[in-house]
Amino acid sequence: MTAEISTIHLLEVASNSGVEAELRDAIEDAQLTDWRTHWLPALRTVHEQLIKRGVPRNQWPQSSHWDWPAKVAQVEGLLAFKGFCVVCARVTQGLMRIDLNQIARESRQAGKPLVYVDYLEVAPWNRADLGQAPRYRGVGTALLAAAVVLSREEGFKGRIGLHSLPQADRFYRDSCGMSDLGPDVAYHGLRYFEMTSEQADAFLPEEDEK
Amino acid sequence: MATKRTMTLNLTDAEMETLEGLSQQKDISKTAVIRQALRLYQAIDARVQRGEKLLIENDSTKEKAELMLL
Repeated sequence: MTAEISTIHLLEVASNSGVEAELRDAIEDAQLTDWRTHWLPALRTVHEQLIKRGVPRNQWPQSSHWDWPAKVAQVEGLLAFKGFCVVCARVTQGLMRIDLNQIARESRQAGKPLVYVDYLEVAPWNRADLGQAPRYRGVGTALLAAAVVLSREEGFKGRIGLHSLPQADRFYRDSCGMSDLGPDVAYHGLRYFEMTSEQADAFLPEEDEK
Repeated sequence: MATKRTMTLNLTDAEMETLEGLSQQKDISKTAVIRQALRLYQAIDARVQRGEKLLIENDSTKEKAELMLL
């Protein structure tokens, strides 16, 4: 299967200008190579800096242990799972794995199918919360928007859901406008967030999809 | 989105009624119900093939029942 590619725009922070990037509806070997050769060394550098600055471990990137090759291999060939990535300057800038077999919990849409975001991570150099200026802004938002678009294509009307790592709670609640359904004791106590079709329309109006 | 192929699906009245009911209840098209069912069936089958069991738990009584997949 060949990935479908859409052109999106990210903000390059250094030049404060928009740059073209690719949104691809698959995670392929090139992304896993980027993860090994670019993401892991960058993450090691971040860890070294955090140690030097005496930052406590509970403030380190909470997705550090995510092993993308394993996450991709785990669901290979299964129709319910799909990968997305953002590529800019020929390097993978963000990755997302989604699950189409989940149902909504929010009272207005409980029991209806949604696109569940299993994992979403941006490259270490794009994280503003690690005490550095990010290289590109908009990667996480672009991936979440892709989940909304897929939800609409599947007939789920933009409904999406996810469990958030604490460092990303504010992003999903405030920047994306998702409903915070509180900590889920059945899922490591992580907060569960959901986007209703109305919230999806506010986050990504259908006419802005193209 | 991936290219789609078309097929004719012959259903009994009862099956069609069930499909229509699920479509209404889940707020998705009949095609989407079939696609969801296929994804779920494949995902469960893959786990059963790996030797895992499919259990249904009653939330209040905590009673568990095993579902057999054909």
